[in-house]
Amino acid sequence: MARMKFICDAERCIECNGCVTACKNEHDVPWGVNRRRVVTLNDGIVGAERSISVACMHCSDAPCKAVCPVNCFYTTDDGVVLHDKDLCIGCGYCFYACPFGAPQFPQAGAFGLRGKMDKCTFCAGGPEKDASKTEVEKYGRNRLAEGKLPACAEMCSTKALLAGDGDVLSDIYRERVMRRGRGGDLWGHATAYGVKSVPATQPAPVQQKS
Amino acid sequence: MKIAQFLLAGACAALIVGCGEKPQVALNKPGQSAAKADDKPFGPGTAYADRATWERTLRARADNQNEYKRVN
Repeated sequence: MARMKFICDAERCIECNGCVTACKNEHDVPWGVNRRRVVTLNDGIVGAERSISVACMHCSDAPCKAVCPVNCFYTTDDGVVLHDKDLCIGCGYCFYACPFGAPQFPQAGAFGLRGKMDKCTFCAGGPEKDASKTEVEKYGRNRLAEGKLPACAEMCSTKALLAGDGDVLSDIYRERVMRRGRGGDLWGHATAYGVKSVPATQPAPVQQKS
Repeated sequence: MKIAQFLLAGACAALIVGCGEKPQVALNKPGQSAAKADDKPFGPGTAYADRATWERTLRARADNQNEYKRVN
């Protein structure tokens, strides 16, 4: 049985935001809601800047699912964490529980009134009839039912963002790291996120004369 | 003396008050999802006859993300 996962290769991501655009376009996500976004670390520091594309990571033991007061979350047989918008009360607990900031809330009215939670569905729709108008309107397109992978990963120009069965992704990433030829440092922080020792490019702080 | 008895009774009442607390969520069972049942992407009425066919399609698609396997 498949275990659907995302992986973002920080060595390849060029912060083009193609995945964000693909997701928004594919699911007609409303303004203000970002199911996926690109986060840049060490922005502006030469040699240390790394970007990763972040969305719902479809956790095996999802904290959002654990804290939901109405139990609207469920995990499919393929490990995709989805939710039922008919049950969601928009309380925001899942947002606080999620370490990735994946749950999004559209503004539903005046004074910052929150609507029902919206998040990445791994392009697997939701608990409605597959490819029905209701499913598309509530959750977006169901590409998995069409035998396709999430639009963000398929759109990625550098193939930094990969999606699919965890076993396949491991094989792809393993081959990629082997070909990079890092010698004994095949695995670990340095390979995934770059070397830690970074030349200081920022000016030294000026000492004030007393 | 009466004040001490009164305080003791109050403390005892405060200690056991939590025992009478009832679950405030009526429909939920912890650990079980209340969401509607979701369709399977395979089976009758879909493009894929069974799970194996559907998984094979997705696996091939995922494998295509490996550009080292392309002819170039």
